[in-house]
Amino acid sequence: MDTQQSQTHALKTSLPKTYAAVNAQQRPSYIHPSEEEQDKYLKARPGATQQHLEIALQHAQQIQSQKEAEDVILDRILELLELPSSSTADPATPSQEDTMKFKTSLVPFRPTDYDNLILERNFEESCGYTLCPRKHRKQKNGPGGGFQFKYGLKGSGPGGRGRSVEIVPQEQIEKWCSDACAERALFIRVQLSEKPVWERRASDTRGTTILLLEEARQKRLVAPAATSSVSSVLNDLQGMGLGNSDRSRELAMERGDTSLTRPDGRVNVDIRENERGSQHAARAPQMRPEDANGGSIEGYMPRGQREESVDADGDRDMLDQI
Amino acid sequence: MDGESAYSMEAEREMTRLWRTFRTVYELLADRGYEVSDHELALPLDEFRAKYADPLGYPESSKRVHIANKLFRNNSRTKMKIQARPTETMKMKYTPLPSKANPNPQPDCGTIYVDFCPDASGVGTKQIRAFNHLVDENNFHTGIFITQTPISPSAVRLLSTLPGRICEHFQEQDLLVNITRHELVPKHVLLSPEEKGKLLERYRLKESQLPRIQISDSVARYLGLRRGQVVKIIRKSETAGRYASYRWVI
Repeated sequence: MDTQQSQTHALKTSLPKTYAAVNAQQRPSYIHPSEEEQDKYLKARPGATQQHLEIALQHAQQIQSQKEAEDVILDRILELLELPSSSTADPATPSQEDTMKFKTSLVPFRPTDYDNLILERNFEESCGYTLCPRKHRKQKNGPGGGFQFKYGLKGSGPGGRGRSVEIVPQEQIEKWCSDACAERALFIRVQLSEKPVWERRASDTRGTTILLLEEARQKRLVAPAATSSVSSVLNDLQGMGLGNSDRSRELAMERGDTSLTRPDGRVNVDIRENERGSQHAARAPQMRPEDANGGSIEGYMPRGQREESVDADGDRDMLDQI
Repeated sequence: MDGESAYSMEAEREMTRLWRTFRTVYELLADRGYEVSDHELALPLDEFRAKYADPLGYPESSKRVHIANKLFRNNSRTKMKIQARPTETMKMKYTPLPSKANPNPQPDCGTIYVDFCPDASGVGTKQIRAFNHLVDENNFHTGIFITQTPISPSAVRLLSTLPGRICEHFQEQDLLVNITRHELVPKHVLLSPEEKGKLLERYRLKESQLPRIQISDSVARYLGLRRGQVVKIIRKSETAGRYASYRWVI
């Protein structure tokens, strides 16, 4: 559990010092190979240069961070299965603590991960909405089968007459304990970011601030906030400290412009033109004497031919003359 | 009376299916190189039924409590657990070549444990966690978890999180027939590290130059192949009699 905790920490922070401190002990050697290992890599590959090594390293780090992120998501799913913390919690007014945990845990999620969470919760017989302690609905007509009619409100039909009817697969209905919970859960789902965590940049704000349905409704009731005055904007700008170089390095880190392993950029890119350009036109192949019998096959001389070429007494050309 | 015979026919069918799966598991273990007795390989249906079926002849009576006395509730799948140890030849195949850093390498294989999941539906992280715990606690090298239904995506991920141990998953229906016994499936033979080295030397290849086979390939899964191993595939050929090709597992 301890290592999981520190891993989640590592993902959350973007401050290089904290990051390094947290991960110093547990970083495996293939992330930061020693000089020796690097030399070994280069020796085993005659054509490789330092640049190749760096590219290989960067890809390795990307894959590693992907794996770590997926592990974090899995851990979060397992944690969220335990919510809500009390069996009498009301999904409409969840406790502060559970809400915080739910929201912070969902940050790295993609909608598919969220679907997995719902599936897992259903397997445990609980409602798909994480903050609901009730059991999910069970229809009578057996597992895995059939469709259900779902009637809308009166006046919801075409042209405001009658009621709308939807035909819904049974599994869809059985995910939740009630329609209210379905709405709450799906409201969360649409706020999640489709982008996997390891590709997100600091500018992707989608999915970082998640609102519960109740909160969003509350917000809509309250009048929108007054537009900020010039002085407050100025204060904000000063607060950001744009001139500060430490701060700008942090900013670059958040954007993903730099990485911990290469503070000056991702990989040294050095473009060199190929010296032999297209000035030389390709020449047609010329007939050589050894090609008379078909020549070699990718460097291999067929046996009969080889013998003939050994006794060069004129017999060899007979075939050509006939 | 009529209804009763219908029930017993259903019981018969389910029991036969489970028996076939059970036998395929033994064949799989034998093909991978574990110690399996001849008797286990050719376990007759009657004996299997006598050992695992409930008094009504069902593989699991929990589904049918409405016709059965609740006292009979037992589940044959919970009783079906298999352990097997690797044979010497298998150990040899799984021993890496000695290197400077590791002059006497140990074989990378050990006792295997096969568990049948009794839950008829909804197999998720809960069951996998219990299985992982069991494998870890008893210090098994490899674990195979067999379920009746597909398991959830997070469960699949969770299965591979046990460090230093290998956990695999099969569905019962995938093991109903032994795919490697089909006439269109050629023979796959795992090469030992030594044989692999010889092959590469003979053809002057790097391993990355070999043709490849995915680790998720059905036969690769059946044989429990691991990344970096090489299998020899022996096909029948009309012109050459037998034709061998090699695949690098990725």
